[in-house]
Amino acid sequence: MDSRGGKVQRRLSDLKPGEGGKIVRITGPPSLRRRLLDMGLVKGAYIEVVRKAPLGDPMEFLVKGYNLSLRKEECDNVYVST
Amino acid sequence: MAIRVALIGNPNVGKSLIFNNLTGGKAHVGNWPGKTVERKEGRCVYEGVEMEIIDLPGVYSLTANSIDELIARDYIVEEKPDVVVDIVDASNLERNLYLTLQLIELEANLVVALNKMDIARDMGYEIDVKALSEILGLPVVPTVATTKQGMDELKKAIIKAAQQRGRRRIRRISYGKDLEAIISTIEGILKKDRVLSSRYPTRWLAIKVLEGDEEVLRRIDRSPVKAELMEVLG
Repeated sequence: MDSRGGKVQRRLSDLKPGEGGKIVRITGPPSLRRRLLDMGLVKGAYIEVVRKAPLGDPMEFLVKGYNLSLRKEECDNVYVST
Repeated sequence: MAIRVALIGNPNVGKSLIFNNLTGGKAHVGNWPGKTVERKEGRCVYEGVEMEIIDLPGVYSLTANSIDELIARDYIVEEKPDVVVDIVDASNLERNLYLTLQLIELEANLVVALNKMDIARDMGYEIDVKALSEILGLPVVPTVATTKQGMDELKKAIIKAAQQRGRRRIRRISYGKDLEAIISTIEGILKKDRVLSSRYPTRWLAIKVLEGDEEVLRRIDRSPVKAELMEVLG
């Protein structure tokens, strides 16, 4: 957990199924950020956890009306405000 | 001569189904040279016009980051197909139109197939096809690949687009005053390289240079205008 500008930010990988939030920040190497942006994970988009595989990798999300599976490394780089 | 048509779209938009509908399922399957990515080619004849159809890999975007995206992009940029059919999932327009914008930027001769219209309708979406076509500046054909709806209209649109090739006005996506100034400066420099500018759309190259696209930067590395470019980019 990280609090910047007073609001609580959580990593996607820390969310439980059913939880969601607005994307506020994407970190990591440019190629990864680019790929996440390409898939619709843009700032301000609402994303929700649908389910989690055992050990939390991969995770399935609902974003912009479609389902998306992400690996742990990817989830670690996306921050949402809940 | 047959019209060369490339099919492109996000994964899971019904691209293969449209390919099969157009070609009657008869495809020549191979690999892209040197890569383990499938390459499918087929033929289609409509009202006496012959079309050669190639199925490009399903991609979300056209960056140089993945092999699928690079294959799709290189094919469009290097082979310059007569018509590129962008298959868009009507039930998921927002994400799908991102690729459409990238294709417009690549200055491909585009036809948009708005597929899965039935699912979009079931989801309660009402898409104003005419308005979408006007905003994009492109022909848009609603289709339902599973029931083969809209296939004749799509073929007609492909043939029409092939006839109008090079005479259509390309819509420009503006990046705002600050970026546009830099883009046009870079574009001006790139235009001095005759080889580069005859092969690629210069505005697209300029945008990719700003994005730091590795493939494009590699190409510019050998250009006589490289020094001048580096001065501007700092």
